[in-house]
Amino acid sequence: MDITLFLFQLMNGVQYGLLLFLIASGLTLVFGVMGILNLAHGSMYMVGAYLAWYFTNTTGSFGMAAVISVIIALLLGILIERTLIIRLYRRNHLDQVLLTIGLIFVFNALQSLLWGNDPLGVAVPAWLDGAIPLTDMIEYPVYRLFVSGLCILIAIGMYLTINRTRLGMLIRAGESNRDMVECLGVDINRLYTLVFAAGVALAAIAGIVSAPMVSVVPGMGEHVLISCFVVVVIGGMGSIKGAFVGALMVGIVDTFSSIMLPQVSSMMIYILMAVVLLIRPKGLFAN
Amino acid sequence: MFTNRAEKLFIWVFFPLALLMPLLLDQNTYYVNKLATILILSIFVMSLDYLVGRCGLVTLGHALFYGLGGYLFVMLAPEYEAVNFWIYTFYVLAIASVVALIVGFIVLRTSGIYMIMITLALAQMCFYFFSDSTEFGGNDGVFIYVKPETHVFGLNLFDLDNPTHFYYLCLLSLFNCLLFFKLIMRSKFGRIVDAVQENPERTTALGYNVFHFRLASYVIASALGAYAGYLFALQYGFVNPSMLSWQTSGTALVMSILGGLGTLYGAILGTLVYEGLHYGFEHLTENWLLPMGVLIILMVLAFRHGLAGYLESLLEKRK
Repeated sequence: MDITLFLFQLMNGVQYGLLLFLIASGLTLVFGVMGILNLAHGSMYMVGAYLAWYFTNTTGSFGMAAVISVIIALLLGILIERTLIIRLYRRNHLDQVLLTIGLIFVFNALQSLLWGNDPLGVAVPAWLDGAIPLTDMIEYPVYRLFVSGLCILIAIGMYLTINRTRLGMLIRAGESNRDMVECLGVDINRLYTLVFAAGVALAAIAGIVSAPMVSVVPGMGEHVLISCFVVVVIGGMGSIKGAFVGALMVGIVDTFSSIMLPQVSSMMIYILMAVVLLIRPKGLFAN
Repeated sequence: MFTNRAEKLFIWVFFPLALLMPLLLDQNTYYVNKLATILILSIFVMSLDYLVGRCGLVTLGHALFYGLGGYLFVMLAPEYEAVNFWIYTFYVLAIASVVALIVGFIVLRTSGIYMIMITLALAQMCFYFFSDSTEFGGNDGVFIYVKPETHVFGLNLFDLDNPTHFYYLCLLSLFNCLLFFKLIMRSKFGRIVDAVQENPERTTALGYNVFHFRLASYVIASALGAYAGYLFALQYGFVNPSMLSWQTSGTALVMSILGGLGTLYGAILGTLVYEGLHYGFEHLTENWLLPMGVLIILMVLAFRHGLAGYLESLLEKRK
């Protein structure tokens, strides 16, 4: 493997990792602040991709479709939190697992009812279509660069929100002591609704921007969910910094192993996870 | 042995009825096969119920052993020669136990939410291993051309190609499985397992190594899970990666909760009702996942002690 090809693959790995971070950060945020394990998080990614496909076809513009889809995802998040998740706060993990499995069933059924089971494709928007030549042979798609850039922007935005704003302070306070925050007169329920909706929106954004890169198929959510679990377990549950590092590790390992060790590539990230766990059972950045 | 009234009632109704079922169905192959599958699933769900309800170890990767049971048979047995069922049962149980010992050593270092995610990820790893392997037929899986024979001391008890015989083998297995878990729960080992779930710190203070008891329970439950997978593979004559999918683990978890967690007999009840509903919904609509999903959500919100709990409270009122 020469240096250009190496860099090319590295860019792919980083891009995949950043996308994983987007999804995993939502999962870990919701767990860290609210103590909820949302197995239906992958379904939100799927919903994002299907909404992007649907609205791109109806409005004719990918940008427009993205905006509408994010708004719908936020509303969906609020609806799910207000009607279902709110009943789980004082319950054990098992109940959370079951209820969110029920949600996966419902979303999979709705997807098949509304959009059928055939693979769908979304075209890359014209203003991002194109490629930058790296050498005579290899070129890198602009759209992938755009996705990486967007993910980095969102990551920076999250970092600033959590560390520099009043809202972020409340989120961090809610993470360490729910009851104390409530005693100080903060409406914790509203905070929870907001965090959950944000988590859903993060997964949906990842689904929307993925739609032009992958085919939109049933079951795409579950696949991504399990990769995110690996990310979160490696990084440490509840830690956003951990999710970032874990996602990049998983993205790079997954990309390189599929070139260098194609026979065992789909197992590599799990082996990585097992190794990390043997050394640090609570992940790299556990609190 | 069966002290609880609801449990006694269920066992006295279920097992005699199950014994008569093939006669009542006039040996209708389709339904006898269907019921045998439910019995096999009940064994799988019961082993999970022991782990989750009795040991407090929530796993979302139990399907790993279900699939392993099936694939182990394919790996070990010669393709065109009938092997002995009992010997291969022993092989499957022994090898699955060794695998469970290794997996358990990794996953039991963690607990709670971490354990849920790690068991899921490890099961998924095996799923990809088998679905990517050309040796084991990838996504299509492997066919089993010749079913084992069941000679023991010159006595051929079951003809596995005969659905009714197979059904009785499954029923016997399920009954033994229930008996086995009941015996465990009554033994000193079982009392300590109960104590570990109730309060691990105090159990440690009493001088017991909590990790060892959890690991032993994990191995027992996993080996029986593998046995269920082995029976399933023999029944349909093939194995494929979907046996290892997270849906298999998730559905089993739903069944054990529906039946009443930790009650063991509830596992049979939960499996029966879930499969009954599945069958019913499937005949009503192509999208059976929708009513099933809604039902699961309602169950978590409103029906917290499962069918066994409901049965118990009914009997309680009448007293």
